[in-house]
Amino acid sequence: MKSDSLGSPSKEEPLLELKSLQTHFFSDEGTARAVDGVSYKILPGETLGVVGESGSGKSVTALSVMQLVPQPPGKIVGGEILFKGQSLLNKTEDEMRKIRGNEIAMIFQEPMTALNPVYTVGDQIIETVRVHRGLDKDEARAHAIHMLTIVGIPSPETRVDEYPHQLSGGMRQRVMIAIAMSCDPSLLIADEPTTALDVTIQAQILDLIRNLQKKAGMSVLLITHDLAVVAEVAHHVAVMYAGKVVEYATVEELFDKPAHPYSHGLFKSLPDLAVDGEPLATIPGMVPPATRFPSGCRFHPRCSIATDKCKTEEPQLDYLEGNTGRTAACHHIDEAAKL
Amino acid sequence: MSKDSLLEVRGLKKYFPIHKGILSRHVGDVKAVDGLDFDLGRQETLSLVGESGCGKTTAGRTLLRLYEPTGGQAIYRPDTDGLEVDLFKISQAEMRDYRRDLQIIFQDPYGSLNPRITVGNTIGEALRVHGVASGQGLNDRVEELLERVGMRAEVSNRYPHEFSGGQRQRIGIARALALNPKLIVCDEAVSALDVSIQAQVINLLKELQDEFGLSYVFIAHDLSVVRYLSDRVAVMYLGRIVEIGTTDEIFKDPQHPYTKALLSAIPIPDPRRRASHIPLTGDVPSPINPPKGCHFAARCSVAESRCFESYPAMVGAAGGHQAACHLLES
Repeated sequence: MKSDSLGSPSKEEPLLELKSLQTHFFSDEGTARAVDGVSYKILPGETLGVVGESGSGKSVTALSVMQLVPQPPGKIVGGEILFKGQSLLNKTEDEMRKIRGNEIAMIFQEPMTALNPVYTVGDQIIETVRVHRGLDKDEARAHAIHMLTIVGIPSPETRVDEYPHQLSGGMRQRVMIAIAMSCDPSLLIADEPTTALDVTIQAQILDLIRNLQKKAGMSVLLITHDLAVVAEVAHHVAVMYAGKVVEYATVEELFDKPAHPYSHGLFKSLPDLAVDGEPLATIPGMVPPATRFPSGCRFHPRCSIATDKCKTEEPQLDYLEGNTGRTAACHHIDEAAKL
Repeated sequence: MSKDSLLEVRGLKKYFPIHKGILSRHVGDVKAVDGLDFDLGRQETLSLVGESGCGKTTAGRTLLRLYEPTGGQAIYRPDTDGLEVDLFKISQAEMRDYRRDLQIIFQDPYGSLNPRITVGNTIGEALRVHGVASGQGLNDRVEELLERVGMRAEVSNRYPHEFSGGQRQRIGIARALALNPKLIVCDEAVSALDVSIQAQVINLLKELQDEFGLSYVFIAHDLSVVRYLSDRVAVMYLGRIVEIGTTDEIFKDPQHPYTKALLSAIPIPDPRRRASHIPLTGDVPSPINPPKGCHFAARCSVAESRCFESYPAMVGAAGGHQAACHLLES
C-alpha cells in the first residue's frame, strides 16, 4: 500500500496537503536539499505538530507553503501543495498575496524581529485588515482593539498605540497572534512560536493558540523541536529528519510507541523520561548537512538496526498495521518496534 | 552547612548603576541579584532556575568575578585542609590563582569561541597563561582533553566554524577542563542544542563530574534538564532565591507559590496528561524599584495583605528545604 500522499485515511477532505514537496537551495557549495520529498496532510480544525531537529527542513516546508522561500537561492523543484483542493504552486503572486494573511497566516519564533519597530502595534493590525478586508480607518482601529482583547492583552485601548519595544516578549507574541488572526485565517502556521519564551509565558501562549483554534475552528501547523509542546497541543504529528517525513501518526500513537528508529531515539534522549541515575540514551553522530545527505535511508549512519539495504535503498512512507493512517519510512519496522 | 562544602555564598549582591544626564549622576540601581545565600558541596550540582531577568546568569558571573560583586561573600574552600578564602575580598591578581579552579561554559557555542583561533590554541591558552604546560606537554594535554570530550585529537588545528553546535560545546567543555577545575558554572550550556545532541552533552557533563569530582552551578531555564542533572535546585525570582532544596523536594513537594506556578507550566511529554497550568498574570516587577513586600505578591493567587507589607524570611531548616513565603510561617 505505497503512496506518496499519506495521512489519515479518513474521508475528510484535508485543508492542506503536501505531496512529495521538494525545495532546494542552490549555491556554489552545491545543492542543499532542505526539503526533499515531504508529504503530510492537515485536516480542518486540527493541529499538526511537525517536529525535528535543526536542519530537518521543517521551517523551509512551511515557508514553501507560503511561497516565501527566497528565490534565488531557493526554489520549489518538485511536488505539490494543495490548499482546499487547489494547487498553490499554480497561483500567481497576486493570488498568493490574497491567500497569505486571509487564508493562511504565519507567526514566528522571534516576535521582535517579525514586528516592525517603527509602527505601533495598532498600525500593524490596521494595515493587515485594511489591505485584506478593505475596512475603513475607524472600523480597522476598532477591529485592532477587538483582536488585542481576544489575545488577552490587558488595557488594549492603550496598548494599541504602543510600539513593539514597549511590550514584553510574551505580549509581542500575543500581538503577532492578533495580527495573524485578524483576517480569520483557516490555517495558522506557527514556527517555533514559544521557543524564545519563558516556560510560564509558553504555557500561556499555547493555551491561547488552543483556545483560539477551538473558537475559530482553524487548523494549526505547529513547528517545534520540543516534543512536550507537541504533546500539549497537537492532534497529529509528523516527525522530520534530513528533509523528509519519517513518521506520521496521531499524537497518542506516537507517544505510546514511536515506530521509526529516529523518533524512538528522540524520545529516549528526553531528560523527562530518563530513569534516575542512568545516563540518557543518545543518538550517536549528528544531523547530516543538507548538501550531503547519506545514500539510502538518511538516518542509516546513526541507526542501531541499519542493514546493507538501508545504505542503498531509500525507504518510502508506508502504512503500518492497524489501518489507522499511521505511516513510517523504515525497512525494518518490525525490528524497530523491539527497540 | 557543613564546614567542608566547596563554596559558601552569603548575601551575594550585584547592582548595576543607572546614570543619567550630562554629569552622569547616579540615579538608581538595577538590583539584578539582591542577596543570595547558598552552599555548594563537593561534586554537587546546584541549579539556579527562574524566568529571564531573575538574575541567575548575573549570579553565576558575579560568583566568578566576571562582574565585580556589590556585596556579600563567597567563602571558597579549595581543599578539605581548612584553607578558606573569600573570593569577593581578594584582589583581581590574587583571584588569578583561583581562576584555574573556577571555570565557566557559556550557552552560545558560536559566540564563545574565538573564530580566528584554532581549537588547539583555544584549549591550550589557559595552560600557557597559567604556566601549567608548554611545548609538547601542552600539545599532549590538549589532545588528551579533546579525546576526553569525545573529539578526535587531529581537530586541534582546525577552526571553530568547521564544527557543529554540539561539537563546539564539547570544545568549550574541554577548555573549561584544561586546568583541572573544581567548579564549573554552566550558563545555559545545553540550551541551544538539539535534543539528541543535548543528551550527549548532558551525559558528558555527568561523566566528567564523576571522573574529576567537579561541582557544577547549573544555570538553566529548561526544567526537565535541571531535574535530571541537579542534586539541589534554587528557584530565583527578581534577584532573590524564593525556594531552595534537593531536586526531589523542589519538584515533588514545592512550597513557594511561584515554584508551584513555574513547575505547572512545564509541558509534559504525554498527550494523555495535558498539564493544568497555574496561570501567572501580570508582569515581573522592575528590579530598579522592587516592591517592599514579597516580590511575587502582585502575581500570587494566595497573597494576603501582609505579603505586600514586608519581604518574607526563609522558612525551613538552614541548609535544607527552605522557602520565602509568609504563608509558610507558622
